[in-house]
Amino acid sequence: MTKKLKLTDISKGGDRPLTEINLDELVPLPPPYDKAEELREFRRLTPDQEERLVCNLDGVVSYAALPKPKNKEEGKKYVEQFVSGLKKLLSKENNWTFLQPLLLSLDYCAQCQTCCDACPIYLASGKNELYRPTYRSEIFRRLVKKYGRPGGRLWAKLNGEDIELNWATITRLYELSYRCNLCRRCTLSCPMGVDNALIAREIRKLFSQELGWAPKELHEKGTVLQLEVGSPTGLRPNVAMDNFKFLDEEFSEATGIKIETPWDKKGADVLFIHSAGDIISFPEGPISFSILCNAAGINWTLSSDIPGYDGVNYGVFYDDVQLAKVAIRHAQIGRKLGVKKIVMGECGHQHKALLTVADRVLTGELDIPRENVMTFLENIVFSGKIKFDPQKNNFPVTLHDPCNLVRNLGVVEPQRRILRYLCPQFREMTPHGIDNYCCGGGGGLSVMSDVNFTDWKAHVAGRLKLKQILEAFADQPGPEVKKYLCAPCLNCKLQFRDIFDYYKVKERSGIIFGGLGELAVNAMVDIKKPFIKWEEP
Amino acid sequence: MAQMELAGNMYEVDENGFMQETDRWTEDVARAYAAKEGVNEVTEDHWKAVNYLRNYYLQNGICPMIRRLIKETGFNLSRLYELFPQGPAQSACKWAGVPKPTGCV
Repeated sequence: MTKKLKLTDISKGGDRPLTEINLDELVPLPPPYDKAEELREFRRLTPDQEERLVCNLDGVVSYAALPKPKNKEEGKKYVEQFVSGLKKLLSKENNWTFLQPLLLSLDYCAQCQTCCDACPIYLASGKNELYRPTYRSEIFRRLVKKYGRPGGRLWAKLNGEDIELNWATITRLYELSYRCNLCRRCTLSCPMGVDNALIAREIRKLFSQELGWAPKELHEKGTVLQLEVGSPTGLRPNVAMDNFKFLDEEFSEATGIKIETPWDKKGADVLFIHSAGDIISFPEGPISFSILCNAAGINWTLSSDIPGYDGVNYGVFYDDVQLAKVAIRHAQIGRKLGVKKIVMGECGHQHKALLTVADRVLTGELDIPRENVMTFLENIVFSGKIKFDPQKNNFPVTLHDPCNLVRNLGVVEPQRRILRYLCPQFREMTPHGIDNYCCGGGGGLSVMSDVNFTDWKAHVAGRLKLKQILEAFADQPGPEVKKYLCAPCLNCKLQFRDIFDYYKVKERSGIIFGGLGELAVNAMVDIKKPFIKWEEP
Repeated sequence: MAQMELAGNMYEVDENGFMQETDRWTEDVARAYAAKEGVNEVTEDHWKAVNYLRNYYLQNGICPMIRRLIKETGFNLSRLYELFPQGPAQSACKWAGVPKPTGCV
């Protein structure tokens, strides 16, 4: 970009984008992905879409249903709603979840910009001003000071900090809040502990809870659908059980082990909750847990109650009301079955939602013990109940750290102890652990694919991640060496599916991706044929 | 909501071209989608996959997993990509007039 963006540009030139994405301005990838002209083109909006849709941020649209006001009055009405929502966000009664960290983040930023060097999206974009964590946060901070505090408007004018609040401001701010993965790498690097990701998330909440603006993939076809039929995927209880029965049979045949996945077993020790999308898209994941739990003699069960077979809770990304509703349902189901604990499946945000964020609503009877998948799996692997032969996993393996599990919850080592034991060629990527980069699909972005949003995710948000993966395997980069990217989170796997599809990573570099459960099963002595396959079925 | 002309009629589609009014689907709609992707002859093999997909969706409210599609039709993944240029998830679902899958799938 030629012109440097100013904060005040957010309210200028209503219909026109502030910036655009050009592939040759992005951080270069290692060969054979280094020539921008050979990469998949960045899909632009069609003239028809440009006319119909609100596209005034960066040439990318994540929410096609963002309403265009028919006249000035309607536009003003939305702006007034925004102000009303902003005031609620700052009040104890309405923001009973995150008010304190939000206020601290708004009040204590020293503008040192250290966070910007930590942000994978800002860096990957070639340091596009629009994607600076502080660009979004500072605009919001000034709006808070102006409309949320007494004397704010006068103060803003005197300080030279005035941001005009109009239709362009709020629509751009809405879309911009969905250009953040909520990965909190910025928070980790901030000397003050300012949480820019939280600010982005609270902006999303304002829009959702006050104006009803939220990506349909997260709300209407997300939490709402999940509470109604069982899963945002539309998977109903009987279909989930039927699909699992099919998988039990298919994999019993393939592995030579009789697999029977238990459902609705009252009084079991463990209620396991998968991310239901795995059942449809990455069935080896959930089936691997059936195999491992049975082989280790665990008294466990799945639940067919709505939504007890789908652990996702998109509310974490955009809306406290939905977050609470889904979390309470999950805990109620565990209580009803009388299990001793609920164990999460391989899904990052599920952990964050049910293990910590929902703490405040899971009181009394609902305060049922919850465990993360890594310590659970580690106990199984090192229990001595299953015989493993690590040589079965003798191919290069690297580990992606899901943000919500690792950086945000501190579950770092158990998965590494498993990998060091079961994978002779395990190597870390750089950086790793809590410093690892987000896959680019975090914060709910991985299930959002309206208009050309997938192009942005694959080319920009996921760019540094792809670079990391390739560098981790730089010693054997060619497609003839079969390599495995361990990505123990469904959201991340979906993002990798998009990135790998865009760049043809499997064909050009011989890399496939999957969870940790599959690696454990692949190393089991009792499995006669390899569980992990590089060839297609 | 976007509009697309298929086989001489206007249909409501999402921004990726997937039909929103599933019950207005006809075989001609499938042929129109196929033609847009450069497939000018929709064969028996195509119909086998499209019909299985559509019927499964209408019965279960979700598209079948790829393993089921492969087992029911007898086509492996390479064959499916030969038949449907964008693959089973993108092309076949579209031609079958079912909405784009939502959630983590």
